[in-house]
Amino acid sequence: MPAILTVDPRSGVPIYLQIIEQVKRSVALGALTPGEQLPTVKQLALDLTVNPNTVARAYRDLEHDGVIETASGRGSFVRAGNGAANVSLAAGRDVAREGIDAALREAKSLGLQRSDVAHLVELSLTRWFPEDV
Amino acid sequence: MNAITLSGLYKRFGAFVALDGVDLTIPAGCVFGLLGPNGAGKTTTFKCMLGLVRATSGTVAFDGAPLTPATFEHIGYIPERSVLYDWMTVREHIEYMRHSFARFDPSKAHALLEQLGVGDDRKRVRALSKGMRTATAVALAFARQPDILILDEPTSGLDPINQRTVLNLIINEAARGATILFSSHQIGQVERAAERIGVMQRGRIVLEGAVDDLKAGRKIVEGILPSETFAIDGFAANPNIDRIERSGRVVRAFVHQQPDAVAADLTQLGAGGIRVVDLNLEDIFLDAVSPGTSTASVVEEA
Repeated sequence: MPAILTVDPRSGVPIYLQIIEQVKRSVALGALTPGEQLPTVKQLALDLTVNPNTVARAYRDLEHDGVIETASGRGSFVRAGNGAANVSLAAGRDVAREGIDAALREAKSLGLQRSDVAHLVELSLTRWFPEDV
Repeated sequence: MNAITLSGLYKRFGAFVALDGVDLTIPAGCVFGLLGPNGAGKTTTFKCMLGLVRATSGTVAFDGAPLTPATFEHIGYIPERSVLYDWMTVREHIEYMRHSFARFDPSKAHALLEQLGVGDDRKRVRALSKGMRTATAVALAFARQPDILILDEPTSGLDPINQRTVLNLIINEAARGATILFSSHQIGQVERAAERIGVMQRGRIVLEGAVDDLKAGRKIVEGILPSETFAIDGFAANPNIDRIERSGRVVRAFVHQQPDAVAADLTQLGAGGIRVVDLNLEDIFLDAVSPGTSTASVVEEA
Protein backbone atom coordinates (compact mmCIF):
# COMPACT_ATOMS: atom_id res chain seq x y z
CA MET A 1 0.00 0.00 0.00
CA PRO A 2 2.74 2.57 0.68
CA ALA A 3 3.69 2.29 -2.97
CA ILE A 4 0.36 3.72 -4.06
CA LEU A 5 0.08 6.34 -1.34
CA THR A 6 1.99 9.58 -1.60
CA VAL A 7 1.38 12.94 -0.02
CA ASP A 8 2.58 16.38 -0.95
CA PRO A 9 3.16 18.13 2.37
CA ARG A 10 3.88 21.42 0.60
CA SER A 11 0.41 21.50 -0.86
CA GLY A 12 -2.22 23.77 0.66
CA VAL A 13 -4.47 20.72 1.03
CA PRO A 14 -4.21 19.34 4.58
CA ILE A 15 -2.19 16.09 4.65
CA TYR A 16 -4.96 14.10 6.36
CA LEU A 17 -7.33 14.99 3.52
CA GLN A 18 -4.76 13.85 0.97
CA ILE A 19 -4.50 10.49 2.75
CA ILE A 20 -8.28 10.10 2.91
CA GLU A 21 -8.67 10.91 -0.79
CA GLN A 22 -5.98 8.44 -1.82
CA VAL A 23 -7.23 5.59 0.33
CA LYS A 24 -10.75 6.10 -1.07
CA ARG A 25 -9.37 6.18 -4.60
CA SER A 26 -7.41 2.97 -3.97
CA VAL A 27 -10.49 1.25 -2.55
CA ALA A 28 -12.63 2.43 -5.48
CA LEU A 29 -10.10 1.11 -7.97
CA GLY A 30 -9.63 -2.17 -6.13
CA ALA A 31 -5.97 -1.48 -5.40
CA LEU A 32 -7.06 -1.98 -1.82
CA THR A 33 -9.47 -4.88 -1.47
CA PRO A 34 -12.09 -5.62 1.22
CA GLY A 35 -10.46 -7.11 4.28
CA GLU A 36 -7.01 -5.96 3.26
CA GLN A 37 -4.93 -4.67 6.13
CA LEU A 38 -3.68 -1.11 6.11
CA PRO A 39 -0.31 -0.18 7.55
CA THR A 40 -0.38 0.78 11.21
CA VAL A 41 -0.58 4.48 11.97
CA LYS A 42 3.07 4.46 12.99
CA GLN A 43 4.20 2.56 9.90
CA LEU A 44 2.36 4.82 7.47
CA ALA A 45 3.61 7.92 9.33
CA LEU A 46 7.18 6.66 8.91
CA ASP A 47 6.64 5.61 5.27
CA LEU A 48 5.26 9.03 4.35
CA THR A 49 7.37 10.97 6.89
CA VAL A 50 4.35 12.73 8.32
CA ASN A 51 3.04 13.25 11.84
CA PRO A 52 1.43 10.09 13.30
CA ASN A 53 -1.55 12.04 14.68
CA THR A 54 -2.21 13.26 11.14
CA VAL A 55 -2.41 9.66 9.93
CA ALA A 56 -4.56 8.72 12.93
CA ARG A 57 -6.96 11.55 12.06
CA ALA A 58 -7.24 10.30 8.46
CA TYR A 59 -7.92 6.74 9.69
CA ARG A 60 -10.60 8.01 12.10
CA ASP A 61 -12.35 9.89 9.30
CA LEU A 62 -12.07 6.88 6.94
CA GLU A 63 -13.61 4.72 9.64
CA HIS A 64 -16.38 7.27 10.15
CA ASP A 65 -17.05 7.23 6.37
CA GLY A 66 -17.33 3.43 6.49
CA VAL A 67 -14.30 2.79 4.27
CA ILE A 68 -12.14 1.06 6.84
CA GLU A 69 -12.68 -0.62 10.17
CA THR A 70 -10.33 -0.83 13.08
CA ALA A 71 -10.19 -3.84 15.33
CA SER A 72 -8.52 -2.86 18.56
CA GLY A 73 -5.12 -4.49 18.82
CA ARG A 74 -5.29 -6.00 15.33
CA GLY A 75 -5.05 -2.94 13.15
CA SER A 76 -7.09 -1.28 10.41
CA PHE A 77 -8.67 -3.07 7.45
CA VAL A 78 -10.65 -2.14 4.37
CA ARG A 79 -14.24 -2.82 5.33
CA ALA A 80 -15.34 -6.33 4.47
CA GLY A 81 -18.44 -8.40 5.16
CA ASN A 82 -22.02 -7.55 4.16
CA GLY A 83 -21.49 -3.99 3.00
CA ALA A 84 -18.18 -4.74 1.28
CA ALA A 85 -19.46 -4.56 -2.29
CA ASN A 86 -20.83 -1.11 -1.63
CA VAL A 87 -17.70 0.20 0.04
CA SER A 88 -15.69 0.58 -3.14
CA LEU A 89 -18.70 2.10 -4.92
CA ALA A 90 -19.25 4.56 -2.08
CA ALA A 91 -15.54 5.44 -1.99
CA GLY A 92 -15.60 6.06 -5.74
CA ARG A 93 -18.66 8.26 -5.35
CA ASP A 94 -16.93 10.31 -2.64
CA VAL A 95 -13.90 10.96 -4.82
CA ALA A 96 -15.98 11.72 -7.93
CA ARG A 97 -18.30 14.04 -6.00
CA GLU A 98 -15.33 16.21 -5.00
CA GLY A 99 -14.26 16.53 -8.63
CA ILE A 100 -17.75 17.29 -9.92
CA ASP A 101 -18.26 19.80 -7.14
CA ALA A 102 -15.05 21.60 -7.99
CA ALA A 103 -16.01 21.77 -11.68
CA LEU A 104 -19.47 23.17 -10.94
CA ARG A 105 -18.05 25.72 -8.47
CA GLU A 106 -15.71 26.87 -11.21
CA ALA A 107 -18.59 27.10 -13.69
CA LYS A 108 -20.57 29.21 -11.25
CA SER A 109 -17.67 31.57 -10.56
CA LEU A 110 -17.31 32.05 -14.32
CA GLY A 111 -20.86 33.37 -14.35
CA LEU A 112 -22.58 30.45 -16.11
CA GLN A 113 -26.26 29.89 -15.52
CA ARG A 114 -27.76 26.68 -14.17
CA SER A 115 -29.21 25.81 -17.58
CA ASP A 116 -25.83 26.33 -19.27
CA VAL A 117 -24.17 24.05 -16.76
CA ALA A 118 -26.90 21.41 -17.06
CA HIS A 119 -26.30 21.37 -20.81
CA LEU A 120 -22.53 20.97 -20.30
CA VAL A 121 -23.10 18.15 -17.85
CA GLU A 122 -25.37 16.43 -20.42
CA LEU A 123 -22.63 16.71 -23.06
CA SER A 124 -20.06 15.22 -20.66
CA LEU A 125 -22.40 12.39 -19.75
CA THR A 126 -22.98 11.59 -23.41
CA ARG A 127 -19.28 11.55 -24.04
CA TRP A 128 -18.24 9.41 -21.09
CA PHE A 129 -21.35 7.27 -20.56
CA PRO A 130 -22.73 6.80 -24.07
CA GLU A 131 -24.52 3.52 -23.26
CA ASP A 132 -26.71 5.27 -20.73
CA VAL A 133 -28.16 7.77 -23.22
CA MET B 1 -3.22 17.13 29.53
CA ASN B 2 -0.66 19.76 28.66
CA ALA B 3 2.96 18.74 28.75
CA ILE B 4 4.36 22.25 28.56
CA THR B 5 2.77 25.59 29.43
CA LEU B 6 4.50 28.94 29.02
CA SER B 7 2.69 31.91 30.53
CA GLY B 8 3.69 35.50 29.99
CA LEU B 9 7.33 34.62 29.45
CA TYR B 10 9.27 37.88 29.36
CA LYS B 11 13.03 38.28 28.99
CA ARG B 12 15.07 41.44 28.76
CA PHE B 13 18.78 41.58 28.00
CA GLY B 14 19.67 45.15 29.03
CA ALA B 15 17.47 47.36 26.89
CA PHE B 16 16.68 44.55 24.42
CA VAL B 17 13.40 42.73 24.90
CA ALA B 18 14.05 39.18 23.68
CA LEU B 19 10.75 37.69 24.82
CA ASP B 20 7.75 39.95 25.03
CA GLY B 21 5.12 37.85 26.75
CA VAL B 22 5.21 34.36 25.27
CA ASP B 23 2.11 32.27 25.97
CA LEU B 24 2.24 28.77 24.60
CA THR B 25 0.59 25.49 25.42
CA ILE B 26 1.86 22.19 24.08
CA PRO B 27 -0.44 19.20 24.63
CA ALA B 28 1.08 15.91 25.76
CA GLY B 29 2.06 13.71 22.83
CA CYS B 30 2.12 16.61 20.39
CA VAL B 31 4.87 17.43 17.92
CA PHE B 32 5.07 21.20 17.93
CA GLY B 33 7.09 23.14 15.37
CA LEU B 34 8.34 26.59 16.26
CA LEU B 35 8.99 28.84 13.28
CA GLY B 36 10.31 32.36 13.16
CA PRO B 37 12.89 34.61 11.56
CA ASN B 38 16.39 34.77 13.07
CA GLY B 39 16.34 36.71 16.31
CA ALA B 40 12.63 36.13 16.90
CA GLY B 41 13.32 34.56 20.30
CA LYS B 42 13.08 30.81 19.63
CA THR B 43 16.39 29.86 21.23
CA THR B 44 15.83 32.22 24.18
CA THR B 45 12.42 30.60 24.71
CA PHE B 46 14.02 27.14 24.83
CA LYS B 47 16.72 28.32 27.23
CA CYS B 48 14.20 29.97 29.53
CA MET B 49 12.10 26.79 29.52
CA LEU B 50 15.08 24.75 30.63
CA GLY B 51 16.30 27.25 33.21
CA LEU B 52 19.52 27.88 31.26
CA VAL B 53 18.52 31.54 31.06
CA ARG B 54 16.49 33.12 33.84
CA ALA B 55 13.32 34.75 32.54
CA THR B 56 12.71 38.34 33.68
CA SER B 57 9.14 37.31 34.44
CA GLY B 58 6.58 34.68 33.51
CA THR B 59 6.33 30.98 34.22
CA VAL B 60 7.11 27.63 32.62
CA ALA B 61 5.36 24.46 33.73
CA PHE B 62 5.97 20.84 32.76
CA ASP B 63 2.89 18.71 33.45
CA GLY B 64 1.63 21.64 35.48
CA ALA B 65 4.67 21.86 37.74
CA PRO B 66 7.80 24.04 37.66
CA LEU B 67 11.04 22.54 36.37
CA THR B 68 12.91 20.46 38.95
CA PRO B 69 16.05 18.33 38.67
CA ALA B 70 13.74 15.29 38.60
CA THR B 71 11.86 16.74 35.60
CA PHE B 72 15.15 17.12 33.79
CA GLU B 73 15.57 13.35 33.73
CA HIS B 74 12.58 13.21 31.37
CA ILE B 75 13.60 16.05 29.07
CA GLY B 76 15.99 15.68 26.15
CA TYR B 77 17.45 18.88 24.75
CA ILE B 78 19.48 19.57 21.64
CA PRO B 79 20.78 23.13 21.78
CA GLU B 80 21.37 25.30 18.76
CA ARG B 81 25.11 25.08 19.34
CA SER B 82 26.55 21.71 20.15
CA VAL B 83 27.35 21.09 23.81
CA LEU B 84 29.62 18.18 23.03
CA TYR B 85 33.12 18.24 24.47
CA ASP B 86 35.72 18.69 21.75
CA TRP B 87 38.35 16.64 23.60
CA MET B 88 36.11 13.64 24.28
CA THR B 89 35.44 10.81 21.86
CA VAL B 90 31.92 9.89 20.80
CA ARG B 91 32.21 6.66 22.82
CA GLU B 92 33.23 8.62 25.92
CA HIS B 93 30.14 10.77 25.50
CA ILE B 94 28.02 7.65 25.49
CA GLU B 95 29.69 6.46 28.71
CA TYR B 96 29.22 9.88 30.27
CA MET B 97 25.51 9.94 29.34
CA ARG B 98 25.03 6.40 30.64
CA HIS B 99 26.26 7.47 34.05
CA SER B 100 24.30 10.72 34.05
CA PHE B 101 20.87 9.54 32.96
CA ALA B 102 19.13 6.44 34.27
CA ARG B 103 17.06 5.86 31.13
CA PHE B 104 19.93 6.36 28.69
CA ASP B 105 20.17 3.35 26.38
CA PRO B 106 23.76 2.90 25.05
CA SER B 107 22.73 0.30 22.47
CA LYS B 108 20.12 2.68 21.07
CA ALA B 109 22.79 5.40 20.93
CA HIS B 110 25.08 3.10 18.94
CA ALA B 111 22.27 2.12 16.60
CA LEU B 112 21.35 5.77 15.97
CA LEU B 113 24.98 6.74 15.37
CA GLU B 114 25.24 3.92 12.86
CA GLN B 115 22.00 5.01 11.20
CA LEU B 116 23.19 8.61 10.97
CA GLY B 117 26.53 7.59 9.51
CA VAL B 118 28.75 8.32 12.51
CA GLY B 119 30.49 5.00 12.14
CA ASP B 120 33.63 5.36 14.20
CA ASP B 121 32.82 6.21 17.82
CA ARG B 122 36.52 6.42 18.76
CA LYS B 123 36.81 9.77 17.00
CA ARG B 124 37.12 12.87 19.12
CA VAL B 125 34.32 15.39 18.63
CA ARG B 126 36.96 17.89 17.47
CA ALA B 127 37.55 15.69 14.41
CA LEU B 128 33.87 15.55 13.41
CA SER B 129 32.29 17.70 10.71
CA LYS B 130 29.46 20.08 11.71
CA GLY B 131 26.88 17.67 10.38
CA MET B 132 28.40 14.72 12.25
CA ARG B 133 28.37 16.75 15.48
CA THR B 134 24.70 17.47 15.03
CA ALA B 135 24.11 13.79 14.27
CA THR B 136 25.97 12.81 17.45
CA ALA B 137 23.96 15.28 19.54
CA VAL B 138 20.76 13.86 18.02
CA ALA B 139 21.76 10.26 18.76
CA LEU B 140 22.68 11.08 22.38
CA ALA B 141 19.46 13.03 23.01
CA PHE B 142 17.18 10.38 21.51
CA ALA B 143 18.96 7.53 23.29
CA ARG B 144 17.88 9.08 26.59
CA GLN B 145 14.31 8.06 25.64
CA PRO B 146 12.86 11.22 27.15
CA ASP B 147 9.14 11.99 27.50
CA ILE B 148 9.79 15.53 26.30
CA LEU B 149 12.24 16.49 23.57
CA ILE B 150 13.24 20.09 22.97
CA LEU B 151 15.18 20.38 19.74
CA ASP B 152 16.69 23.66 18.59
CA GLU B 153 17.21 23.24 14.86
CA PRO B 154 17.97 19.52 15.06
CA THR B 155 18.61 19.18 11.34
CA SER B 156 20.87 22.15 10.77
CA GLY B 157 24.05 21.15 8.95
CA LEU B 158 22.76 17.68 8.11
CA ASP B 159 22.69 16.30 4.59
CA PRO B 160 19.23 15.62 3.09
CA ILE B 161 19.39 11.90 3.91
CA ASN B 162 20.18 12.52 7.58
CA GLN B 163 17.59 15.29 7.72
CA ARG B 164 15.00 12.73 6.67
CA THR B 165 16.37 10.24 9.21
CA VAL B 166 16.02 12.80 12.01
CA LEU B 167 12.46 13.61 10.91
CA ASN B 168 11.64 9.92 11.07
CA LEU B 169 13.24 9.72 14.53
CA ILE B 170 10.94 12.54 15.63
CA ILE B 171 7.95 10.71 14.11
CA ASN B 172 9.01 7.48 15.78
CA GLU B 173 9.28 9.15 19.21
CA ALA B 174 5.93 10.86 18.64
CA ALA B 175 4.34 7.49 17.88
CA ARG B 176 5.79 6.31 21.21
CA GLY B 177 3.90 9.16 22.88
CA ALA B 178 6.72 11.65 23.45
CA THR B 179 6.03 15.37 23.39
CA ILE B 180 8.36 17.17 21.00
CA LEU B 181 9.04 20.86 20.56
CA PHE B 182 11.39 21.70 17.72
CA SER B 183 12.46 24.71 15.75
CA SER B 184 13.56 24.77 12.14
CA HIS B 185 13.97 27.16 9.26
CA GLN B 186 13.02 24.36 6.88
CA ILE B 187 9.30 24.85 6.67
CA GLY B 188 8.86 21.68 4.62
CA GLN B 189 10.15 19.63 7.55
CA VAL B 190 7.82 21.33 9.99
CA GLU B 191 4.97 20.77 7.54
CA ARG B 192 5.64 17.03 7.64
CA ALA B 193 6.54 16.30 11.24
CA ALA B 194 4.57 18.85 13.24
CA GLU B 195 0.96 18.53 14.24
CA ARG B 196 0.84 22.07 15.60
CA ILE B 197 2.96 25.10 14.87
CA GLY B 198 3.74 28.45 16.44
CA VAL B 199 5.18 31.40 14.58
CA MET B 200 7.38 33.74 16.62
CA GLN B 201 8.28 37.26 15.75
CA ARG B 202 9.97 39.91 17.88
CA GLY B 203 9.57 37.90 21.05
CA ARG B 204 5.90 37.09 20.61
CA ILE B 205 3.82 34.22 19.26
CA VAL B 206 2.03 35.81 16.30
CA LEU B 207 0.31 32.68 15.01
CA GLU B 208 -0.44 29.29 16.54
CA GLY B 209 -2.55 26.30 15.56
CA ALA B 210 -2.82 22.82 14.08
CA VAL B 211 -1.11 22.66 10.67
CA ASP B 212 -4.10 20.96 9.01
CA ASP B 213 -6.57 23.45 10.51
CA LEU B 214 -4.45 26.42 9.45
CA LYS B 215 -4.32 25.05 5.91
CA ALA B 216 -8.04 24.31 5.85
CA GLY B 217 -8.97 27.76 7.14
CA ARG B 218 -6.40 30.11 5.68
CA LYS B 219 -7.13 30.80 2.03
CA ILE B 220 -7.16 33.67 -0.38
CA VAL B 221 -10.65 34.31 -1.75
CA GLU B 222 -10.31 36.16 -5.01
CA GLY B 223 -12.95 37.76 -7.19
CA ILE B 224 -13.45 40.34 -9.90
CA LEU B 225 -15.63 43.32 -8.96
CA PRO B 226 -18.03 45.11 -11.34
CA SER B 227 -15.85 48.25 -11.24
CA GLU B 228 -12.57 49.52 -9.80
CA THR B 229 -14.39 51.80 -7.40
CA PHE B 230 -17.04 49.27 -6.36
CA ALA B 231 -17.80 49.70 -2.64
CA ILE B 232 -17.09 46.61 -0.55
CA ASP B 233 -17.19 48.09 2.96
CA GLY B 234 -19.80 45.65 4.23
CA PHE B 235 -17.93 42.67 2.80
CA ALA B 236 -14.57 43.88 4.15
CA ALA B 237 -16.02 44.02 7.67
CA ASN B 238 -16.43 40.21 7.69
CA PRO B 239 -14.57 39.02 10.82
CA ASN B 240 -13.20 35.98 8.94
CA ILE B 241 -11.14 38.31 6.74
CA ASP B 242 -7.73 39.44 7.99
CA ARG B 243 -7.06 41.94 5.24
CA ILE B 244 -7.98 42.81 1.71
CA GLU B 245 -5.87 43.68 -1.29
CA ARG B 246 -7.37 45.43 -4.31
CA SER B 247 -5.76 45.83 -7.65
CA GLY B 248 -7.95 47.24 -10.40
CA ARG B 249 -11.16 45.23 -10.36
CA VAL B 250 -9.52 42.27 -8.65
CA VAL B 251 -10.17 41.89 -4.93
CA ARG B 252 -8.32 39.39 -2.79
CA ALA B 253 -9.41 38.61 0.75
CA PHE B 254 -6.98 36.87 3.12
CA VAL B 255 -9.25 34.64 5.17
CA HIS B 256 -8.40 32.75 8.35
CA GLN B 257 -11.54 30.68 8.60
CA GLN B 258 -14.69 29.71 6.68
CA PRO B 259 -13.32 30.50 3.20
CA ASP B 260 -16.42 29.05 1.54
CA ALA B 261 -18.68 31.46 3.43
CA VAL B 262 -16.48 34.38 2.40
CA ALA B 263 -16.57 33.17 -1.22
CA ALA B 264 -20.37 33.03 -1.03
CA ASP B 265 -20.47 36.60 0.34
CA LEU B 266 -18.26 37.81 -2.48
CA THR B 267 -20.54 36.13 -5.03
CA GLN B 268 -23.54 37.77 -3.35
CA LEU B 269 -21.80 41.12 -3.81
CA GLY B 270 -21.87 40.60 -7.56
CA ALA B 271 -18.23 39.66 -8.03
CA GLY B 272 -17.32 37.11 -10.72
CA GLY B 273 -14.44 34.71 -11.24
CA ILE B 274 -14.45 33.67 -7.61
CA ARG B 275 -11.48 31.51 -6.74
CA VAL B 276 -10.36 30.06 -3.44
CA VAL B 277 -6.57 29.78 -3.43
CA ASP B 278 -4.89 27.26 -1.12
CA LEU B 279 -1.98 28.44 1.01
CA ASN B 280 0.80 26.15 2.10
CA LEU B 281 2.66 26.53 5.38
CA GLU B 282 5.33 28.72 3.82
CA ASP B 283 2.68 31.14 2.51
CA ILE B 284 0.95 31.13 5.90
CA PHE B 285 4.25 31.70 7.70
CA LEU B 286 5.35 34.54 5.43
CA ASP B 287 1.97 36.18 5.68
CA ALA B 288 2.12 35.97 9.49
CA VAL B 289 5.56 37.58 9.78
CA SER B 290 5.22 40.11 6.98
CA PRO B 291 1.79 40.47 5.41
CA GLY B 292 1.82 40.96 1.67
CA THR B 293 5.02 39.08 0.85
CA SER B 294 3.76 35.52 0.61
CA THR B 295 4.73 33.63 -2.52
CA ALA B 296 1.05 33.01 -3.17
CA SER B 297 0.50 36.75 -3.60
CA VAL B 298 3.40 37.03 -5.99
CA VAL B 299 2.29 34.06 -8.09
CA GLU B 300 -1.28 35.29 -8.24
CA GLU B 301 -0.27 38.71 -9.47
CA ALA B 302 1.92 37.32 -12.21
